Amino acid sequence: MSLQTTPYLTLTLALSARADHLAVVMSFVETSAAVFGLGRPEQGKLLLATEEIFMYLSGVVCPGKDLEVRLVNGLYYVCAEFRFASPELDLGGLNITSTISYDGEADLQQMGLLIASRSVDRLSLSVERQRVALAVTKEKVYPRSTETLPSPEAGEGTAVETPDRERLKRFAVLARQALPDPDRPSFLDYPGKLVDMAAAGDCQVLTAFGEKKDIVGGILFGHRTEKTVWCCGPYVFSRTRQAETAAALLAACIAKIARTKALGLLSLSGLPEGLRADFEPLGSLTFRPAEGPPVARPFFYRHLHEDPVCEVWTHAELADHLRREYDRLVLAREIRLLTDMGEARSGRSLFSAEVNGERSEVVLRPELPGADYAANVERHVRFLRGDRYRNLLFELDLGVPWHAELVPALLHNGFHPAILLPFAGHSDLVIFEAHETEP
Amino acid sequence: MRPNLDSLVPAYVREFEPYIPSRPDPELKKLYGCRRLFRLNNNENPLGPPPAAQEVIRRFPPPQGAVYPSGDSYYLRQEIAARHGLDPDQILVGNGANEVITFVIKAFCEKGDNIVTADKTFAVYEWVAVFSGIKARVIPLKDETFDDRRMLEAVDGNTKILFVCNPNNPTGTYWTKEKLAAFLDEIGGERIVVVDEAYCEFVEAPDYPDGISLMKEYPNLVVFRTFSKMYGLAALRIGYLAGDPGVVDMIRRTCVVYSVNSIAQEAALAALRDDTDHIGRTRALVGQGRNFLREEMAGMGLPVIANEGNYLIVRLPGSDTLAYRKLMREGVMIRPMTGFRYPNHIRVTLAQMEAMEAFVAALKKILS
Repeated sequence: MSLQTTPYLTLTLALSARADHLAVVMSFVETSAAVFGLGRPEQGKLLLATEEIFMYLSGVVCPGKDLEVRLVNGLYYVCAEFRFASPELDLGGLNITSTISYDGEADLQQMGLLIASRSVDRLSLSVERQRVALAVTKEKVYPRSTETLPSPEAGEGTAVETPDRERLKRFAVLARQALPDPDRPSFLDYPGKLVDMAAAGDCQVLTAFGEKKDIVGGILFGHRTEKTVWCCGPYVFSRTRQAETAAALLAACIAKIARTKALGLLSLSGLPEGLRADFEPLGSLTFRPAEGPPVARPFFYRHLHEDPVCEVWTHAELADHLRREYDRLVLAREIRLLTDMGEARSGRSLFSAEVNGERSEVVLRPELPGADYAANVERHVRFLRGDRYRNLLFELDLGVPWHAELVPALLHNGFHPAILLPFAGHSDLVIFEAHETEP
Repeated sequence: MRPNLDSLVPAYVREFEPYIPSRPDPELKKLYGCRRLFRLNNNENPLGPPPAAQEVIRRFPPPQGAVYPSGDSYYLRQEIAARHGLDPDQILVGNGANEVITFVIKAFCEKGDNIVTADKTFAVYEWVAVFSGIKARVIPLKDETFDDRRMLEAVDGNTKILFVCNPNNPTGTYWTKEKLAAFLDEIGGERIVVVDEAYCEFVEAPDYPDGISLMKEYPNLVVFRTFSKMYGLAALRIGYLAGDPGVVDMIRRTCVVYSVNSIAQEAALAALRDDTDHIGRTRALVGQGRNFLREEMAGMGLPVIANEGNYLIVRLPGSDTLAYRKLMREGVMIRPMTGFRYPNHIRVTLAQMEAMEAFVAALKKILS
C-alpha cells in the first residue's frame, strides 16, 4: 500500500482490491475530498459511490488485483478514479447493468455500478491500452446568483478579450438575466462555478466590451474531444450592434482554435440566427425533461480546415442512412461495409456508461467487443429505463470497425441514428437516441 | 513493450497537430465524384516551370539518380549570389522555403524565446516555432497589412526573430521600402528580421522593396525566396535564404546538407537563366485572372481582398470550409481560410481563364 501526490492536484492510493482494504479507501477518499473543498453532504455521496464500487471491484471484477484509487481535484468537482490492468479479466461485469448475483435474472438492487451512479453527478468508464479507469464525479455546490445588473449598451467599437475572474462572474450574471432557460447552460446560474471551470481549463470564455467597458456579450468554448471543440453562444446582451458583436465573438473564438488540433467547432446552444450560415446543421437530439414536452436540441457544426476525408465502417442496415447523411453534409467518405464471414465470436461485450443524473441521461459507448450485443443492449435499455433514465444515447465510432457490429442490436432495441458528428471519434461519430416512450 | 510516449515526447510536440496534406488528385476526384480538378488552392503557376527548366527536367540522365546531389547546392548558390552581388556563402538553399524557416528558428531560438509575426499570414513560421517549443506572438493585421507598431510593442527581451511576409500571403499587402527600413531601424541589431519574399516576382509596384538590397545596411535581415511559385518548381521543393555572412554562418550550423536533390538544383539554375520572359507571361496571366475575378465577384456582391501575388481572397456569405467541399464536387479546389484566421473567406489562385471561369461557374452554382 502506498500513497503519493502528483502535480495537478491529484492524490493516488495504490493497494489491492480486497474487501478488508475498504476502510483505508474510504478514509483516503473522505480526507482527500475534504482537502479538495468538497462540502460535507457531497463528500457523503461520493463515499457512498466509492464503497459500492470498491466492494464490487474487489468482490466481482478484479478481486485481489492491484488497484489505484486516484482523487482528482477538478476545482469545481472531485473525481474518484479506480484504475487497474485488464489482461486476463472478464470485464463484462463492468457493464453498468451487470448484476452482483449469479442466480440468473437480476434486479436493480443488485447492480453495484448503477447504485453507485445514483449518488454522484457522473459515472464513466474507459478502457485504453489494457488499462481500465472507472470514475465517479461529484460536483461542488455553489451559490446561485441573485444579483441583477443593468443591460449594457454597446456603443461604437467593441473589443473582445479574455475576462478576469470578476468580469467573468459579471458575464455569468448577465447571461442568466438575458437568456431563456433552454438556451442557457446550467453552469451560468453559478458564477463561481464558471470561474472554477475556466481556471481548471475545462472551458474558455471570451467577452466583448463596449465603449464604456461594459460586458456586452460573450462566448464559451472548450475541447469536447481532441479534434472537436464545443461552443455555447455567442451571447449578446446589448440591444444595439448585436450582429457585429456576435460576429466579433465568433471570429475571436475561431482565431483561438484555428491553429490547434481541433478539426471542427460544434455549437451546443445559443447560436444566433444571423450566424447559422457560418455553420452546418447536423440535426438534433430530443431531450426529455422531467416535466413538459420534449425539447429539440439542434447541433450546428463547422469544419476548421479542409475535410481530410476518412474511412468509415458500417453495417448494411445503417449504410443507406449514412450515404444520405454524407451526401447532405457534403462529406466525402470511404464507406466500408462490415462483412460476416462466419467467424467465431466470444466473450461478453462491455459498454461504458456516462451517467448524468441531473439530466436523467445516460450516454453508452462500446468499449470491448463480444458475442452478446443484442442481449447486452436489450439489458441496458430495460434496466436504465427501469431506473427512470429518460434520455438514452448510444455513440458509435465509425472509425472503429467492430462498433458497426452493434447496429442491428441498437436498431432492434428502439435506438435510431439521430446525428452524425464529423471527426468526433477516430473518425465520425453517430449518436443514436432512444426514449422511454419508444418500444 | 510499447514506448511510454507520454514521458518520451515533449509536451509541445504531443500537443501539436500534424498537418494533414490533401490526398492525391486522382483520389480526390474519385471521392468527390468530379472528372477534372482545377487546383486553385496552393498558388501554383499553371504555366509550369520556365521552358529552360522544363528541358532540364526532361533531359535529366536516369543514371544520375544514383549520385548524391551537391551537398550545398554549389552552382545554384554561385548563380544567385552573382545576380544579387553577394558572396555565395551568404546563400543557403533548402528543401523548399519551409526548410529554411526551420533552419533559422533552430539557429536562433531556445526554450523561453519567442518569435513575433502576424496572425493572418503564412502559418509555417508559427507552426515551426510552436512544435519547437518556442512561443509565437501573433499580432493582428491592421488594414490587412502587417502592423509594424504592434509588432514592435510585442518585442521583449526573449524575442529572437520577427517574421514579415512581404507581400503577405494571403492578403497580398506589402511594406514599402521606407516602411521596412524604418522597422529595421527600430529593431536594431539585437534581433533577426526575416522577410519572406516567396511572392516577390509577382509584384510590379515600384515602391515594393528588394529585401536583399537592404542586407548590407541591415546585417540582421534575412530574406527568404522560393522557386515554388513564380518558377513553377513546387514539386521539386527548393527555396533559399540570403543574409549577412556572419548570420548565415550561424544558420548553416543547423542546416541539413544534401536535402536538396540534383534535379531541383539544376532546374532552379535553368529557371534563373531562362530568357523566354516566363515572368512576364505569368504576370500577364495573373493580372488577367485578377481583373476577371474582381469583376465577377463584384457582380455577385462578394467582397474581395486583391492585392499583390498570384491569389486573391473572396469573402463568402457562409462557411468557407463547406464551400470548399461543395466546390470540390464541382471540380474546383480552393483554400478555405479559417485556418488562416479568416473564417468565411476563401483564397483562390489566379490561373488560366479556363480555371477562373470554372471557379466562377461553380461558385455561382453553390451559392444559388
